[in-house]
Amino acid sequence: MKRTLALLLAVMMLATVLVGCGNSSSNQQTAGSEAAESAAERTTFIMGIDPEYPPFSYLGDDGNYTGFDVEICQAVCDYLGWDLEIFGVNWDEKLVQLDSFECDCVWSGMTILDSMKEAGYTLSAPYYDNTQVLVVKGDSGFASSADLAGKDVAVQLGTSGEALLNGDLADLAETFGNVVTCDSFLKCFTELEGGSVDAVFVDMPVAASYVASHQGLNIIDEDLGAEQYGIAFRADDTELCAQVEEAVAALVANGTYAEIASKYPDIVNNLLFLSE
Amino acid sequence: MIVKMSEGLGKTCAIFFLTLLFSLPLGMIVALLRMSKNKIVSAITRFFITVLRGTPLMLQLLAVTYGPYYLFGAGVARNKLIPVVIAFSINYAAYFAEIYRGGIESIPVGQYEAATVLGYTKFQTFMRIILPQVVKRIMPSVTNEIVTLVKDTSMAFTVSYQEMFTIGKQIANSQTSFMPFLVAGVFYYIFNLIVDRVMGRIEKRLDYYK
Amino acid sequence: MTDTKKNESASQAILEIRGLQKSFGVLKVLRDISLDVEPGNVVSIIGPSGSGKSTLLRCATFLETADGGDILYDGQHAVKAGVYANKTELAKFRTRFGLVFQNFNLFPHYSVMKNISEAPLLHGQSKEETQEYAMSLLKKMGLEGKENSYPCQLSGGQQQRVAIARALALKPEILFFDEPTSALDPELTGEVLKVIRQLAEEKMTMVVVTHEMPFARAVSNHVIFMDGGVIVEEGHPEDVFGDPQQERTKQFLRNYQK
Repeated sequence: MKRTLALLLAVMMLATVLVGCGNSSSNQQTAGSEAAESAAERTTFIMGIDPEYPPFSYLGDDGNYTGFDVEICQAVCDYLGWDLEIFGVNWDEKLVQLDSFECDCVWSGMTILDSMKEAGYTLSAPYYDNTQVLVVKGDSGFASSADLAGKDVAVQLGTSGEALLNGDLADLAETFGNVVTCDSFLKCFTELEGGSVDAVFVDMPVAASYVASHQGLNIIDEDLGAEQYGIAFRADDTELCAQVEEAVAALVANGTYAEIASKYPDIVNNLLFLSE
Repeated sequence: MIVKMSEGLGKTCAIFFLTLLFSLPLGMIVALLRMSKNKIVSAITRFFITVLRGTPLMLQLLAVTYGPYYLFGAGVARNKLIPVVIAFSINYAAYFAEIYRGGIESIPVGQYEAATVLGYTKFQTFMRIILPQVVKRIMPSVTNEIVTLVKDTSMAFTVSYQEMFTIGKQIANSQTSFMPFLVAGVFYYIFNLIVDRVMGRIEKRLDYYK
Repeated sequence: MTDTKKNESASQAILEIRGLQKSFGVLKVLRDISLDVEPGNVVSIIGPSGSGKSTLLRCATFLETADGGDILYDGQHAVKAGVYANKTELAKFRTRFGLVFQNFNLFPHYSVMKNISEAPLLHGQSKEETQEYAMSLLKKMGLEGKENSYPCQLSGGQQQRVAIARALALKPEILFFDEPTSALDPELTGEVLKVIRQLAEEKMTMVVVTHEMPFARAVSNHVIFMDGGVIVEEGHPEDVFGDPQQERTKQFLRNYQK
């Protein structure tokens, strides 16, 4: 499986390089750098993805790439009249590959990092909020994660919050008294309101909507594992970025976006365009 | 992984033994209430039995754990063993009650009459004459329930009690592996093999008469 | 008051039944039954099925509740005009009689010894005395060496003899038998009847509901023929069997001789 994938990647990279070379020399083909410069005449859009990042982008059972990002991108291309090509990047080298015209964007559950902005890449508005927050009772007096040392914290089984507490935030999890895993976020909050745990560690959008509809709860103002996903374009592709963003906005407006999102229940709560 | 899950096994055992400890006698009380000559008492008991047997145990677990909070604003227990054992005990008591009732009603009326004529009090008749015979008769059904209880302990995950299956699920999630479920299955199987052996021994001990 | 009454009737009868009434729903099972059982007497009750003879025994032993009439033991009222004495008093009355069932009703989970000795022990009698007496009863019943057996290991005849021993262990003044041989294979009835005959010779007061006519004729001092909830005819066995006065009695006995 891995071998086939590697082979596939190698072939694709080779092909792209060859096509790229051909384009730069002949000016005949549309897929390369020349096309990128005149966005209005674009006919093909190459999406750079991490092929192993479900549910945003992954190899489907039918052998074609799919995932939330892939489906949205397909819809964007349909909207703009482009042909979609998918290019599996090597995640560590994704920006280099972007710069070398192997793809027109990196769009694959990609966390927007300050380093990207500093390096001058054109970044779309964030579309996915992966921020985790702690929710506590309003009268508890807890104001930071440090206040929760020795206290019990609930987290939903199988969420990024749980993954963080087992991974990047394991040190923080160590300071908690108990990490209680519930099988639904509703139970997490019931435990909190019922007083059996002292905090709930949960996705920001989930926290926001719950706190808005239930009195007496506070979100601790501290981004834990703060992440937002966006799309990266080359520095001078601001127009392309705007085109894609406009298309996405149109898909949000006509309901296509929500329709696609509904197929991905695990992430639907964190989609920023749908949270209003 | 196995070490971590064995820690949860202790909690699984706690649910199991505490549930048996409370539900076996409680079932007898319920059975006696159910057979009460007072029609109201028996009707109420009957209603509760049908509710407990007619709704999912998982729902009852949720009701016992979170119900007091939603209904009266009372707190949710921090130690989940308490609501878990309460819910399991009540549920199993309902099942045991019906098994007991069947057993008690299967004892020929002549046994009561013989004891009465010999001057046994009602209590003596029940404890000395009826109950021992009931125990023998219901052994196979009780074994069945106990085997089911072993497996049902896994339902405690629904109220976030960190017993073996809950831990197994967490490990499965973080490692994206089915191994923990397999391990859990083996644990339950071995547990039930032991239950089967023990119950077999008891049944054999009661085999001295027909 | 009770004392004088006791003195009045103690010399006469162990059991007196006066005007006993019992119905199951609309069915009148006992209509105005009266009988006396004097010490040392053996009374046989015969009659077709459904004549009420078993119900009479069950009323006398408080297993059925009579609707009306009196039941007196040693001249003391256990039931007066259909009203029962209180629980404690009934418990005392129960110590005066024993009952042997058609189906033995031994306790299957108890050994023979425990079947016989538990009730006396519960009544506060000493262990040695009870066990000694139980052993002597077993010997009398021809069941030596069976004390550690369980009922399921015994034949029907042996089980019924254990049941008789169990009833005798409480040293009752009167012993009731409810068709003691009806559940037995014919070849096993003899051993049970022999034991009852032996008890009769020892002047044990007994009331026997039975279908064994030759036995009733040979052993009892008094025979009662019941039909349709009433006593049709009663008297000395030679009179009732030898020269029945009532047509129904004649018919019943004729059927039995066939």
